[in-house]
Amino acid sequence: MKKLGLLLSLLLLTGCNIAVLEPKSETASDQAFLIVFSFWLMMIVVLTVFVLFVRFVYKYRYTDNKKDFMPKDVKGNKKLEATWIILPILLLAVLAVPTIAITYEQSPVAGDQSDHEGTHIYVTAQQFSWTFEHETGKEVQNDLVIPEGESIILHLNSKDVIHSFWVPHLGGKVDVLPGEELVYVIENPEIGTYQGKCAEYCGIQHAKMTFEANVVSIEDYERYVNED
Amino acid sequence: MNDYESALFKDKQIGFLIYLGAEAIMFTVLFATYLIFTPAEQGPHPTEVFKAVSVILSSFFLLSSSGTLIAAEKGLAKNNQRKFITWFAITLLFAMIFLGLEIHEFYTFVSDGYGISVNVFMSSFYVLVGLHAAHVAFGIGWMIVLFIHYMRKIPMSLFREKHKIFSYYWHFVDVIWVVIILLVYLPYLL
Amino acid sequence: MDIPLFGDTLFVPTDVMAAWVFTILMAIPIGLFILKKKKVGLIFDYVKTTNHRKIGTLYILFGIVYFFRAGVDALFIRAQLAFPNNDFWVFQGEKYNEVFTTHGTLMIFFVAMPLLLGLMNVVVPLQIGARDLAFPFLNAVGFWLFFAGSVFFNVSFFINMTPEIGWTGYAPLSTEQFTPGAGTDFYVFGLQISGLGTIFTALNLIVTIIRHRAPGMKMTRMPLFAWATLITSLLIIIAFSVLAIALYLLMFDRQFGTGFFSGSEGDPVFWQHLFWIFGHPEVYILALPAFGVFSDIISTFSKKVIFGYPIMVISIALIGFLGFMVWAHHMFTVGLGPMANTFFAITTMAIAVPTGIKVFNWLFTIRGGVVRFTTPMLFALGFIPSFVMGGVTGVMLSVSAANFQFHDTHFVVAHFHYVIIASTIFGIFAGLYYWYPKITGFVLGEKLGRWHFWTFLIGFHLTFFPMHITGLEGVPRRVYTYTEADGIFLLNFTSTIGAFLMGISMLFLVWNVYKTHTNGKKVGNDPWDGRTLEWYVPSPAPVQTFDPMPIVKEIDPLWYTKLENRSLRTTTSTRPAPIETESFIPISMAMALFLLSLGLTFSLYWLAIVGGIGVLGLFIVRSFTDEREHVYGKEDSYE
Repeated sequence: MKKLGLLLSLLLLTGCNIAVLEPKSETASDQAFLIVFSFWLMMIVVLTVFVLFVRFVYKYRYTDNKKDFMPKDVKGNKKLEATWIILPILLLAVLAVPTIAITYEQSPVAGDQSDHEGTHIYVTAQQFSWTFEHETGKEVQNDLVIPEGESIILHLNSKDVIHSFWVPHLGGKVDVLPGEELVYVIENPEIGTYQGKCAEYCGIQHAKMTFEANVVSIEDYERYVNED
Repeated sequence: MNDYESALFKDKQIGFLIYLGAEAIMFTVLFATYLIFTPAEQGPHPTEVFKAVSVILSSFFLLSSSGTLIAAEKGLAKNNQRKFITWFAITLLFAMIFLGLEIHEFYTFVSDGYGISVNVFMSSFYVLVGLHAAHVAFGIGWMIVLFIHYMRKIPMSLFREKHKIFSYYWHFVDVIWVVIILLVYLPYLL
Repeated sequence: MDIPLFGDTLFVPTDVMAAWVFTILMAIPIGLFILKKKKVGLIFDYVKTTNHRKIGTLYILFGIVYFFRAGVDALFIRAQLAFPNNDFWVFQGEKYNEVFTTHGTLMIFFVAMPLLLGLMNVVVPLQIGARDLAFPFLNAVGFWLFFAGSVFFNVSFFINMTPEIGWTGYAPLSTEQFTPGAGTDFYVFGLQISGLGTIFTALNLIVTIIRHRAPGMKMTRMPLFAWATLITSLLIIIAFSVLAIALYLLMFDRQFGTGFFSGSEGDPVFWQHLFWIFGHPEVYILALPAFGVFSDIISTFSKKVIFGYPIMVISIALIGFLGFMVWAHHMFTVGLGPMANTFFAITTMAIAVPTGIKVFNWLFTIRGGVVRFTTPMLFALGFIPSFVMGGVTGVMLSVSAANFQFHDTHFVVAHFHYVIIASTIFGIFAGLYYWYPKITGFVLGEKLGRWHFWTFLIGFHLTFFPMHITGLEGVPRRVYTYTEADGIFLLNFTSTIGAFLMGISMLFLVWNVYKTHTNGKKVGNDPWDGRTLEWYVPSPAPVQTFDPMPIVKEIDPLWYTKLENRSLRTTTSTRPAPIETESFIPISMAMALFLLSLGLTFSLYWLAIVGGIGVLGLFIVRSFTDEREHVYGKEDSYE
């Protein structure tokens, strides 16, 4: 997977790191897999179209000796048309299988429908900052500390408008709604420091509504939540 | 109506029916809004707000106005001027009574403390039933204008056309009212 | 900038100042030009016209004007993002938010929509052999409502009250609590008025296509642009009605103290549902007409009938139908739950199938033909690969779990610019170059056309391709700054260069139009060796067309008469044409609605009442000036 990611970045002529394709949690890995998998499936389509396009446009371009040439009218071709109905459906079916599997596992749900076990973090968003409350009652602003290797269960609430919680390395985003708690789970994060941000436009300083996500060892986490 | 006129009339009929289709979608969204937000978690409950008497009374006038309009149209078809004018005037009268009852209903609601911003149930009630009432008010204006056209003696075929288009509108407004009875009032009056 | 005013000082931001200065500087020479050339009469002619070609021209004219304004907005955005920690002019924070809001709203509602409606207005009647739209007066009303709505929306900038809620207007940010200023009201009423006009024009087009086709022009013989227009109009009727109510509810939330979308009982996600039930079909409303344009152009310049006509029609209809079942793919992250996310992922993937069919049918139309690289054809050819790139990222976005990463990032920005520019904007340019002779009688210059195409195409890919990568690197949309540490400077800088290249390419278009009108030669009926009926009438299309009326016997009727060296059979007995009229009522109605909205926006209820009475009064005036009164026979009596 990482190789594919690397290849991608080379292909796209950029040496810098593509956060989403360098997953640091199981959740993000599954998503990166889907991204890369769908990318290559779609490359089949792109290449087919490009090859046909270049070939047809080049071969059938106007030249002076075709001045009086009158092409034959082709009204259609049932077999060909059936081909490009059926093949895309098959291709999409291949894509749909992992999509459904991972979607069922990862979709954020309303607070009352969640029965996950793990480390609970209560996230409150407001214009333009984040508050993280741990199970011990410790509250910290704009600095999220979580233990490695655990299931991190985020309970998200907004005090004002809609925000969106996003740490690209750790997993996809989930909206933070006023008046309705959503629960999102990040599985097995790896130790490190990652950028987090608000991804839903929320007002004047939307761009500055960022935070830091620190994944630490379980012992460090225990120490952290118990100190004031 | 000659061929020339009936072709143009058919255009207009189809066009107006499509417009009513757009209106039907608008009302559908408002019905959905009402169903989503009613009853509200707090504030007044529909059962304490709605009064059966006023609904029955106003329904009687609006629904029978569809019938009287059909009677007027029959009079028009037979070139029976007396019959047309009588039934048309009754339709207009019924519409006005309905609107009066509706305004009265809103007025009592508001003076009982059930204004538009009391809770989401009242809000969704007013935006829906209020829009319908606005349609009735517009229809009343339309009827008056039609009546003047009748007195002016515009070409008869044109008048029939205008009258027909109006009757589509009026029946549509009636149908919306029936749905309002079924979805808005009835569940909380039974 | 602080300006002293009656003893107070008034704060006016420099960008607003610049807009005033620029507008006045532009208005003076244009005004002088009009006076010098004695064109005031022409303006009045267009103000009161109900002719489909003239109204189409007006739509296109204002669409282009707003295209430049929204394009300049885009350049401000790109200039601000060109460097890390950049402070370009005033475009940080609030001003940046304003500028991306107006860019999006204008481009969708006041650029793409009027340009497409303009092309439909000009071309569809000519393609199907109709003498005008079914309801010429209503057509004028539709245009002037669009005009009033667009002016209303644009006025906000000049008084420094620009909306800053994004073009999606998500609640509760768009409710009074969080955006108490008048800006959001300009958004609400601007869209409401112009949306109403769009509904009218759509129903007009439907009736025209159903009822006003030439004898023998069966539905199955219609050009694909007419088909696309028909399906698009049906989508408009449904989608814009939903938008109208969404805005109506938002208006009540903002003006009359209801709480549908905010507060303890309101539901902000309900706004998103309503908005996207409108918004997703809207994407197809923009794309389908472009598909129609490309179908006609590719067929003409390949000298071949379109490949698989029946399935092309079916796939347009299928896209339109599926378009209403995918709206929640914009909402994968709002917690609708796994069931809904899966359902909408699958329907979204399904929509790729009919779209793919169309792409392959276009390719096989080219196959075996003779491809002439005229400017319209270049845009059509540029469309195919560009659009496919946008299409496949669309499929990637439909993968709902992966979408948790893509959602609201630059990746999405890249995706929708790829699909909308490649289809709608390329389609509009292709259509403008192609049908320009039907509008003005001139063919636009080919050489400058090629410059326009290539700079636009390259600029477009330079701008949006890097955004796929910045999105995956973790850049959310609608942020105005980034740091060097983010490592995205080069990609952003490339995007900025691309954006300016697109800006430059538009100057080629302006120069081309100027050159064509000063040096160009008028062309005959059929400059492109066309296939369909619009090339049968003179260029520009006269007010009285199709006299006598042609009789149609096949698809591409004009083409086969040329092949077989015969002339179209005609007839003089046809169905009655719509009645032409001239009236100031449409523009007056629009102005009355403008005043009504202004009154509501600033809580000047007397003004709102004046506007409302004005609208109703004009209804009555209209009823008493009905042009049919003079045409209808009096054989029926009152007794």
